[in-house]
Amino acid sequence: MLNYSNVIENDKSYPGLQMREIKPVMKLIIRGKKRQFLSAVGKSLNLLLPNEANTSSRSDQLTALWLSPDEWMIFSNEILKSDDNNYDVEKLLNKNICKTNLGAVTDVTDQFVLINLKGDKIFDLFETGSPFNFNDFKSKKGLVTQTILTKIDIIVHNQDINNVNLFVRRSFSDHLFSWMNDSASRL
Amino acid sequence: MFLINCPFCGEREQSEFKAGGEAHIVRPKQPTELSDDQWAEYLFMRKNIKGIQFERWNHIHGCRKWFNMVRDTSNDEIKAVYKMGEKPPVK
Repeated sequence: MLNYSNVIENDKSYPGLQMREIKPVMKLIIRGKKRQFLSAVGKSLNLLLPNEANTSSRSDQLTALWLSPDEWMIFSNEILKSDDNNYDVEKLLNKNICKTNLGAVTDVTDQFVLINLKGDKIFDLFETGSPFNFNDFKSKKGLVTQTILTKIDIIVHNQDINNVNLFVRRSFSDHLFSWMNDSASRL
Repeated sequence: MFLINCPFCGEREQSEFKAGGEAHIVRPKQPTELSDDQWAEYLFMRKNIKGIQFERWNHIHGCRKWFNMVRDTSNDEIKAVYKMGEKPPVK
């Protein structure tokens, strides 16, 4: 990850809700349509990409989120130690996907900010600013959705019960995080 | 405000979508052989009827995929939603 002066500096805690940024975490967007693409990714990463809409799959090191029928986000489960932008997974995918013309791999590590939310008030917070119906979503582990929160595009990953990952574009992260803090203080 | 059933993501709120104008407009095969009036007809003229209309929509804050919709413009009732390249399920 590149060296940014980060906008989210402190972990925040409210009754029933804790928020913190997780970094550095590798994030890749991969795109492809062919069947060979899916099997090549599966073999390269030892991880099957989720076929079903709004779902995710997970291996020891990586998690894959369904974004659209031909687009997935892959991120590392562990926090990376090194402060550079070279990832073995990306190199492997570049070799097996890009160079064979099966699909595209884009490094979005610095583009997206990963905010982790914990607690039983997460969806109360989301419901104050999102048009998405979280009623079924919140009880099913592993579900993914792209929606809007206070008019900002976000990706929500229901990692575990009361443990949610939220991806937001870096340029919006300052505003979103301050809005979430403001909103959380009134829950 | 109404709900739209995205053919890829499922039911979502209208504010996640963007309307993309009339659907099923075919580009002329030989544009150079058309008169200016015919070209303007293809390029600019769109139906704006009260009733059943075929439209393109984009799930811009979700999967970012384009799809088609049959909508009654008088009451916003959605008759059908179908993927690009598919034939409309209703006439």
